Amino acid sequence: MKILVPTKRVPDTDQRITLREDGSGINDDQLPFVINPFDAIALEEAIRLRETGCDAEILTVGIGSADYEEQLRSGLAMGADRAILVQCEESLDPWNVARILQALVLREGPDLVLMGKQAVDDDASQAGPFLAALLDWPQATFASKVELTEDAVRVDRETDQGIETIEVTRPAVITTDLRLNEPRYASLPSILKARKKPIEQLPLEALAITLEPRVKIIDLEAPSQSRTCRRVDSVDQLAEALVEVLP
Amino acid sequence: MSQKTADVLIIGGGVAGLSTALQLARRGKSVIVVERGQLGSGSTGRAAGLLGQLRGTAASTRMLMDGVETVRELEKETGEEIFVQTGSLRVAATPARTQEIVDLVGMGKAIDFDIQHLSREEVNEKLPYMKTDDLLDACYCPTDGHLQPAELVASYVKWGRKLGVQYQTQTPVERILIEGGRAVGVQTASGPLYADAVVNAGGPWSYLIAEMAESVLPTAAIGHVYLTTRPDDAITIDRLSPGVRDRENRIYSRPEAGGLIVGMYEAEPEQYAMENLPADFDMALMKAARDDIHVAMLIYCAQQRFPWINERTPMTVTTGIMTFSPDGKAFCGAFPNLPGFFHCSGFSGHGIVQSPTIGVIMADLVTEGKTDYDLSEIEADRFFEQPGYLAREEIRNRCFEMAGNYYGRVEGKTASGKAS
Repeated sequence: MKILVPTKRVPDTDQRITLREDGSGINDDQLPFVINPFDAIALEEAIRLRETGCDAEILTVGIGSADYEEQLRSGLAMGADRAILVQCEESLDPWNVARILQALVLREGPDLVLMGKQAVDDDASQAGPFLAALLDWPQATFASKVELTEDAVRVDRETDQGIETIEVTRPAVITTDLRLNEPRYASLPSILKARKKPIEQLPLEALAITLEPRVKIIDLEAPSQSRTCRRVDSVDQLAEALVEVLP
Repeated sequence: MSQKTADVLIIGGGVAGLSTALQLARRGKSVIVVERGQLGSGSTGRAAGLLGQLRGTAASTRMLMDGVETVRELEKETGEEIFVQTGSLRVAATPARTQEIVDLVGMGKAIDFDIQHLSREEVNEKLPYMKTDDLLDACYCPTDGHLQPAELVASYVKWGRKLGVQYQTQTPVERILIEGGRAVGVQTASGPLYADAVVNAGGPWSYLIAEMAESVLPTAAIGHVYLTTRPDDAITIDRLSPGVRDRENRIYSRPEAGGLIVGMYEAEPEQYAMENLPADFDMALMKAARDDIHVAMLIYCAQQRFPWINERTPMTVTTGIMTFSPDGKAFCGAFPNLPGFFHCSGFSGHGIVQSPTIGVIMADLVTEGKTDYDLSEIEADRFFEQPGYLAREEIRNRCFEMAGNYYGRVEGKTASGKAS
């Protein structure tokens, strides 16, 4: 069995993020980057599936510049067996991410693609569903529980109506939600082992893909930072103050 | 002489600065605390909050015993109970550590500190979630405990405000103002402030503040990590179960909200150059990567004493920066080269527990120029202008080495035949 875990390298959203003056993007000079938290959950789930008995090879993928190696190395330390860095300097919309992943799936032939339900930087939630559509594979989004059966995957999905349990045949694309698991910190031996694991550098051209940008960022606007604080002396005063400001 | 804004200016709104401000205000001094971020947003906010009174020497143990009294006083004054008296344990699984405990119990008893040996069975009863089968000895200090650093900050500030202390947050200091060979104030972005005395309580930034006055303060910024496990139905951790220090494994622990805090003084901690961090660096936003070597080391060492902890254990990891000195002791007082400029830094991972008494000592030094406390271990100028303590790199190396040995070395008279 082979599990492909695509990841995205995103700014740590706990940091104070500011925009470039021309509105073309965010200031990322001194910004720490992390694996998209939902993708870390996907990777953790792949590792747990292996730990609970399925004999899986776990392949993690990043699309980006050389800086990405640090995050891929983290993934290898958590427990992925190998990593591929698709070299691409451009920032991609979800459609093109899905097309690149499609090419990788055709090359690697995984039984399962596990990926975050969305990236915390653009919150698009599209790459997973696009990929399933391009591959004509079944998909299970927003997974909060994943179980392998003989030739299928049973998935609990978190929906607004409650938990929906579905079964999809393999191969399939599964996108992971927050409550699926809590990603681990790598152990000492895993960190040392990860230093020797391969990261394959794959030029975009090698996948014979021409990018088809379909989304253009026209403008970015930072959320308003203005806040007013007022000290109140009692719960009653607090209630009054809240009534005042409520629409 | 320029017009005075306050009697004393304190640079740094962590526990050291806030405690000093409070004790000065209690003596009728007008005090302004200037803080680059928010109160308690530096090392204070990243501390585990253990209040262990037992140290390697009688002088420092006595100081910490008085500190617990001061915390009780704070509680009475503010009406907020913050100290959780859980008691604490030191455990030994090697002959050298066993001797260390024997020495410390002897020292503690000699100064009327409540301390006793515990058998393995007694330890097991107090801490059923800890591995005890390898223990040779343990000692128990029933009056130890812990607190939430944020609550200590709130208490210092609550009382301080009542006494007129002013707190200026988001106010980085740009320069130390010197007139006639004396520190007379600080320059901030919003203007100059003048006072009779300036106190450098800048924590990891304190050596940069000293540099503003062309002084070399031999401290260095050293990383620290601790983990907090999430509550787990399989492991019951009583909120009043004792804190633990296992120096051989380099870890300490205490209960926290149904889970367990385990922190570590590792042999090769991270080193930071504060001058290279962004101007708006916020320690609260530090985050360890999933493959952080220090976290991996911490988990490994935690596992030696708490075998149920592993890399899959749901936990949060807290990363922070401590201020180490070359001998692990604080710097309290002025240098001979600049009267009016006092240092209060270098607490080497023990700022929370030292802060209550340090405030009293600093207030003594600023107002009287002397104190009844035994200053010999913490005098600010003990390395002043000494060879080996001048260049940043050699200072950093010495502090790094000290930090690495902090739990590694054996305390008491055992190791070298005299107190460490």
